[in-house]
Amino acid sequence: MAKKIKNAIPVVIIAIVLAAAFARFDFLPSIGDPDAPAHTRTSDYYIEHAVKDTNSPNYVTAVIVDYRAFDTMLETTVMFLAGLGVVILLASRPDPKARIIKPRKFTENREHLGAPAYQSINKDVMIKIIEPLILIYAVYVLFHGEVSLGGGFQAGALIGMVYIIDTMVSPGTISLIRLPKERSVALAGAGTFIYTLTGILTLVGGGVFLEYGKLPFSMSFEEKHSTGILMVEVGVTIGVMATIITILNAIHERARFDDDK
Amino acid sequence: MTNNMSGISVFLADKGIYFLTAFLLVLGIYGMITCKNYMKKLICMNIMQVAVIFFFLCFGQKNGGTIPVQVTGLMGARHYINPLPHGLMLTAIVVSLGTTGVGLALLTRIKEKYGSIEEDDIIKGENKF
Amino acid sequence: MSNIPVLIVLLPLSAALLCMALSLIHWRLGRDVVIASVAASLVLSVIQLKDVIDHGTVSYVFGKYKIPYGIEFRIDAISAVIIVMILIIGFITLLFSMSFEVRDGGKVKNSGAYTMLALLIVGMVGMTSTGDMFNLYVFLEITSLSGYCLIALGGSRGIVAAFRYMLVGTIAATFYLLGVGILYSQTGTLNMEDMHYMLSRGVSTEAQAVALVFIIAAFGVKMALFPFNGWQPSAYAHANAGSRPLIAGVMGKIPAYAMFRYIFCIYGSEFRFMDEFLLIVGIFSCCGIIYGSVRAMAQTDLRKMLAYSSVAQIGYITLGFATGSPVGIVGGFLHMLAHAFMKSGLFFGTGAIRQKYGSMKMEDLGYIYKKMPLTSGLMVVAALSMVGIPPLGGFFSKWYIGMGAAGSHHLVYLFVLVISSLLNAVYFFKLFEKMFMARDKELPDRIPSEVAQEVPWNMVLAIVVCFLAIILIGVFNVPIVNVLMPTVMEVGS
Repeated sequence: MAKKIKNAIPVVIIAIVLAAAFARFDFLPSIGDPDAPAHTRTSDYYIEHAVKDTNSPNYVTAVIVDYRAFDTMLETTVMFLAGLGVVILLASRPDPKARIIKPRKFTENREHLGAPAYQSINKDVMIKIIEPLILIYAVYVLFHGEVSLGGGFQAGALIGMVYIIDTMVSPGTISLIRLPKERSVALAGAGTFIYTLTGILTLVGGGVFLEYGKLPFSMSFEEKHSTGILMVEVGVTIGVMATIITILNAIHERARFDDDK
Repeated sequence: MTNNMSGISVFLADKGIYFLTAFLLVLGIYGMITCKNYMKKLICMNIMQVAVIFFFLCFGQKNGGTIPVQVTGLMGARHYINPLPHGLMLTAIVVSLGTTGVGLALLTRIKEKYGSIEEDDIIKGENKF
Repeated sequence: MSNIPVLIVLLPLSAALLCMALSLIHWRLGRDVVIASVAASLVLSVIQLKDVIDHGTVSYVFGKYKIPYGIEFRIDAISAVIIVMILIIGFITLLFSMSFEVRDGGKVKNSGAYTMLALLIVGMVGMTSTGDMFNLYVFLEITSLSGYCLIALGGSRGIVAAFRYMLVGTIAATFYLLGVGILYSQTGTLNMEDMHYMLSRGVSTEAQAVALVFIIAAFGVKMALFPFNGWQPSAYAHANAGSRPLIAGVMGKIPAYAMFRYIFCIYGSEFRFMDEFLLIVGIFSCCGIIYGSVRAMAQTDLRKMLAYSSVAQIGYITLGFATGSPVGIVGGFLHMLAHAFMKSGLFFGTGAIRQKYGSMKMEDLGYIYKKMPLTSGLMVVAALSMVGIPPLGGFFSKWYIGMGAAGSHHLVYLFVLVISSLLNAVYFFKLFEKMFMARDKELPDRIPSEVAQEVPWNMVLAIVVCFLAIILIGVFNVPIVNVLMPTVMEVGS
C-alpha cells in the first residue's frame, strides 16, 4: 500500500503542475486562427519568398534544406550518431557466462535460434514486384521532393526498407550488395559528409556556410539553389538508408535471447 | 461557426486539441514513472515525444489554408498553412527515432548482461558487484 | 577569416563523419584526423576569442538570410571563453583516452569512441555558440546521444546508468521542446535576439512563466541541478574511463550557460516574475550545494565522491546566476571555468591511478604521493582549489559569488557558501589523509617499466595542462573578469 502511495506522488505533482499550467489554455492560440503570432512573424516571409529565394515550390523543403539547412545537417548527424551508437554498443560479443542472472532455460547447441524465420513469405512476389516498386518510388520521392511532398529522409527510409525485405525473405543466399555494419556505418558517415561538403563548397565559392547561391558551378542562381538542395537530399538519403540498415543489422544479429522460446 | 454553438463546443473547437496532447504527455510521463519494465518505459518515452510533436503541429494549422506546396494561381500567405512547425517536427521525429534506436541497443545489452529488463532484477544484479 | 565561427564546429564534425570510413583503411587514421581537427579548432577558437575581445560580438547567419529567418551563430565574450575551455579540455581528453582504447570490440568500437568524443565536443561548442532556440535543441540532442553512448561504454553498470540517463534526459529534451513550442506560439520566431525583442513588446506573462518553468526543468535535468540530479552520480562514475574527464568536467556546464541565456538574455529584466524565478533557482542551488557535499562525504569510491561533489559545484554556478547581480554572475562563470579544469583534473588523476594500479577505492591510495608525484600534485592542487584556498581558481570564483550575494543582500547564500566550503574541506582532507597518511597497499604496477615517467606522455600532458590552468585562472582572475564583465553588464542590467 505504501508503495502505491509512493508511486502516486509524482503523478499527482505532474497532474497539478500541468493542470495549473494548461488550466484553460488561455495563453495558447486558437486552432486555425490565421492572425495568431505564430503565423505572422516569420511564416509569411517563408511562404511569400520561398520560390524567389530558393527556387523550391515546396515550402517545407525550402524551410528545412535552405532557410534552416544547418538544422537538417545536424539532424542527419543525429541519425549517423544513433547508428554508430548502436554499432559500438553491440560491437563486443556477448558472453552468457558473465551474466548476473543466469537464464532460466539456458541450452547450448541452438545455433539457429536467432536466425530469421520468415521463410513463408512469397519470395517471388516480394523480390520481383514489391522491391522494384519501392525502389522506383524512393527515387521518385528523392528527386521530386523539391517540388512536391517527399525528400531525402523518406527516400532513405524506403531504400533501407528494400534492404531489410531482401535480408528477410532470403536470409541464406548471398545478396548483390552486402553491407556489414562496419561498412554501413562508414557509409552513413560519408552520406552525411556529402551534406557537409555542400556547405564547404559554398565556403569555397566565397559565400557563407550553406549559401547555395555561391556554389562554385557555372549556373544561374535558381539552378544553383536546385543543385544545392539536390546534393543535400542525396546526402541525406544515403545517410538515412545506411543508418537504418546499420541499426537493424546490429540489433538483429544480437537478438538471440537464450531463455526465450 | 453557428450562433447556437454552446460555450463548451466553441472551447473544444478552439483549444480542445491541447487537452488531448496534454493528456498524451501526462500519460507518457506517468508510464515512465510507474512501469517497472524498461521496454515499457521506452514505449512511454515515445508516447511523450509524440505528444510534443502533435503540440507543435497544432499551431501550424490555419483556417482556409492548404498544404504548403505552391499551387499556381494561389498566391499569398493566407492560403497556405505554416510550414515551419512541420519542418521542425521532421527534425524532432528523426531525433526520437535515433534515441529509440540507442535505447533498444542499450536494452539488448542490459538483457544480455542482467538476464532481465525488469527494474527489480536489475537493481538486484547491480548490488552483486 | 569571417567563417571562423562555423569552421570551429565544422572541422571536428567533418572529421567525426569521416572517421569511420577512414578507419576502414587503417585503424589509426580516423583517430589521428579527429585529434588534428580538434587541435585546429582550438587554434581557431583562440583567434575568435581575440577577435571578440577586440571587436565585440560576432554574428554569423547561415545562408545569408535576414536574421529571424535564417539560423544564427552569435558569439559574445562569454561564449568565446567557454568555447576555448571546451576545446582545451576536449583536446586533452582525446589525447588522454588514447591510453584507454578498447581492443575487444575491434576497430569499430575503437574509432567509434573517438567519433563519439568529437561529436560530443561539436554538440557542446554548438550549444554555446548558437543563437537559435531550435538549433540549440538539435545540438543538445547530439550532446546527449553521444553522452549516452560514452557512458554506456563504461561496462555493465554503465549501461544501466546510461539507460536511466537516457530516460530522464529525453524527458528533459521534450520539456525543452515544449517550452520552445509555447514561446513560438506566442511570438512566431525562434531566434533568441528576436525572441527577446518580441517578449519585451508584451506577451502574456502566464505563457512566459509556463515556458520558463519547462525550460529551467529541462536544463536543470541536463546539468544535474539539485532536485533533478538522480541520474548524475552513477552516470559520471561509471562512464567510459577515457571520456570521463570531458563528461564530468564540461558536459554539465553547457546547459548551465544555456539556462543563463534563457533567463537573462531572452527573458531579461522586463519579465515580471524574474525575481521569483531567480529565488527558486537560488533555493535549488543552496539545497544542491548542501546535499551534494553531505552525500560526497559518505562515499568510499573516489569516482562517486567526485560525482556527488559535482552536484554541489553546479549549485555554485547557478547560485552565482541567482544573485542576479553582475558580480555574482561573473563569479558563476569564473567558477564554471575553474571547476571544469578542477573536476577534469581530478578525473585525469583518478584515471592515471586506475591505469597504473587498477583501483578506484579511497583506501588503496596510501603512499601514492611517493609513487606518482605528478598525479598526486595535480590532485592536491585541484582539491585545494575546490575547497577554496586563496591563490587558486576556486577561491576567486567563490569570492566573486560571495560578493554578488552580499551586494544583492542575499545573506543566506553567503552562509551556504561558507558552510559548504567547510564541508568540501572535510571530504577533500579525507582524500589527503588517504593519500599521505595511509599505509602502502603494495598494488601491482600495470604500466610497463620501459615508460620513463610515472604515466605515458599523453596523461602527463593532460595533467600539466589542468595544473597550469587551475593556477592561471587563480592568478589572472582579474583579466578574465574584465573580459566577461562588459557582456554581463550588457545582459544583466
